[in-house]
Amino acid sequence: MGSEPEPGCALRPFAVEQGLLSRPDGSAAFVQGDTSVLAGVYGPAEVRSSRESPERAALDVLLRPKVGLPGVLERSREQMVRRACEAALLGELHPRSSVTLVLQVVSDAGSLLSCCLNAACLALLDAGLPLRSLFCGVTCALAPDGAVALDPSARQEKEARAVLTFAFESTEKRLLLSTTRGACSAKEVEYVRDVHGTSV
Amino acid sequence: MAAGFKTVEPLEYYRRFLKENCRPDGRELGEFRATTVNIGSITTADGSALVKLGNTTVICGIKAEFAAPPVDATNKGYIVPDVDLPPLCSARFRPGPPGEEAQAVSQFIADVIENSQIIMKEDLCIVNGKLAWVLYCDIICLDYDGNILDACTFALLAALNNVQLPAVAINEETGLAEVNLKQKTPLNIRKYPVATSFAIFDDTLLIVDPTAEEEDLATGTVTIVTDEEGRLCSVHKPGGSPLTGAKLQDCITRAITRHKEVKQLMDKI
Amino acid sequence: MRGSRSKALHDRALVNCQYSMATFSTGERKRRPHGDRKSSEMTLHLKQTFEAAILTQLYPRSQIDIYVQILQADGGNYCACVNAATLAVIDAGIPMQDYVCASSAGFVEDTALADLNYVEEAAGGPQVALALLPKSDQIALLEMNARLHEDHLECVLDAATAACRAVHAVLDQVVRDHVREVATLLGE
Repeated sequence: MGSEPEPGCALRPFAVEQGLLSRPDGSAAFVQGDTSVLAGVYGPAEVRSSRESPERAALDVLLRPKVGLPGVLERSREQMVRRACEAALLGELHPRSSVTLVLQVVSDAGSLLSCCLNAACLALLDAGLPLRSLFCGVTCALAPDGAVALDPSARQEKEARAVLTFAFESTEKRLLLSTTRGACSAKEVEYVRDVHGTSV
Repeated sequence: MAAGFKTVEPLEYYRRFLKENCRPDGRELGEFRATTVNIGSITTADGSALVKLGNTTVICGIKAEFAAPPVDATNKGYIVPDVDLPPLCSARFRPGPPGEEAQAVSQFIADVIENSQIIMKEDLCIVNGKLAWVLYCDIICLDYDGNILDACTFALLAALNNVQLPAVAINEETGLAEVNLKQKTPLNIRKYPVATSFAIFDDTLLIVDPTAEEEDLATGTVTIVTDEEGRLCSVHKPGGSPLTGAKLQDCITRAITRHKEVKQLMDKI
Repeated sequence: MRGSRSKALHDRALVNCQYSMATFSTGERKRRPHGDRKSSEMTLHLKQTFEAAILTQLYPRSQIDIYVQILQADGGNYCACVNAATLAVIDAGIPMQDYVCASSAGFVEDTALADLNYVEEAAGGPQVALALLPKSDQIALLEMNARLHEDHLECVLDAATAACRAVHAVLDQVVRDHVREVATLLGE
């Protein structure tokens, strides 16, 4: 990843630390600006019989908010992160086993979902699980005046007309995940996607 | 013979059909199932709609209640959506608290309402800071055969379009709200969001309006929500196989044509 | 047929019911679609009714789930559920002793009324819910609330029984038509 010459298209400073937890098989902390997520991966491990699949490893994602209990939003994000990871993970190599990914939000200052995705990818990598490709998440905010801000802060997200989050896989830079808030035109999505595609 | 082949090798069975550009139920890849909508069938609700997409059946009932407006936005009302996938609709759901899928669909519907501004929440305010409408939009799936997002979005839109709210006057003396049930007005629907879902087969092939069977075999799904101006209210791709930009563009184009089909259906009722 | 192993019965199938009411099914919005006291009672009644009618001994160590969902309530919820569930059980091909037909009846101003609607139920007079196996004239479930003089019981029951028989005629016709339709489709 690198910063873009265009104004507003620079990412906030980011940092990552892998293998910082001793109990999980893989762990990573990802910090983007003031947003920080801690991820732990357990697996491949024994699977509950109800989740067992003869074809591939069963992946469970748990997203823990900073305070309180996980709600509907967390559940919906868990599903998105799980499906993104499933697409990247070579689960066929570990049939009849389970992989559990726990994401703990440490602080949320905007672009949380993309931070979760980045932490998830690095934790899976740290666990030594075979992956089809790496992936990364980027959030971007469209300001009312049409300006595009990559990796927006919480304030930028709040003021924005639309907030788009994408995830791309690393081999062919194809779109892995997309979710949007607010309305925008097809042109804008295309433009933003291209900006992202180059900044990955 | 075919049935046996389907049971043993479901994916291969599907591939044989897809190679010929058709699907086991006779549809083309870009073809929706027959869509029907029935509005106002539930008289206990303030607005209701039953939508069928092939076998998938969802019913949306809307109840309006009074509440105090939120403290931080005194000129707004509330829209509270909820999607229930009861064990009645498919053997894949178990009784008990809502599962992951039901919660994900609820969140999606809440996002569509928020993103598209289908109704301005300001329209639901009766007296600034004192009284506002809460619209409880409860969607129940009666038969689950895939593409629940499109069916729910359509049912919600048709039900909101069917809502008739009674006139409310505040009695000066008592300060209480008086409801005039004789004088009813429909809601002001600002935008008509329509969802179009695709399933991704073998990482490359896109099929529209997947059945439950197709969703299970597919490697990913994409849902595009557009409004009548062709703006995108949601590009929802919850993981799954990666897609190229060109493919996504194809989805958006198909979604815009689908919007026209649904709008025609809406105008007829 | 599935379910938890611990609950399985070794000599017959377990009948599991769940009754839920849509939040928009009643005049006032329902906060809890299922799991409240009334729904639990209804669930239990349905379970008892169908345990009496389904030939459960044919499916040992298995479970039969019956889910009913009320979309709009205008009195006689239990009866509508039983009649709908009977058709669903038949459609599922599960053997029963007989159709289970249900109807409610009430007693207002010295006259027995069959199939009460919401307003009649809310008036608070005596009510009877009857689930009947019409061929053998056996009662699967009979429930009465409020007080009713013994002398009047017979005429109220007669009204309910007559209504059940009328329901039976309709259900039987529907099943026969459906079977005929399916048979022709299969025959083609």
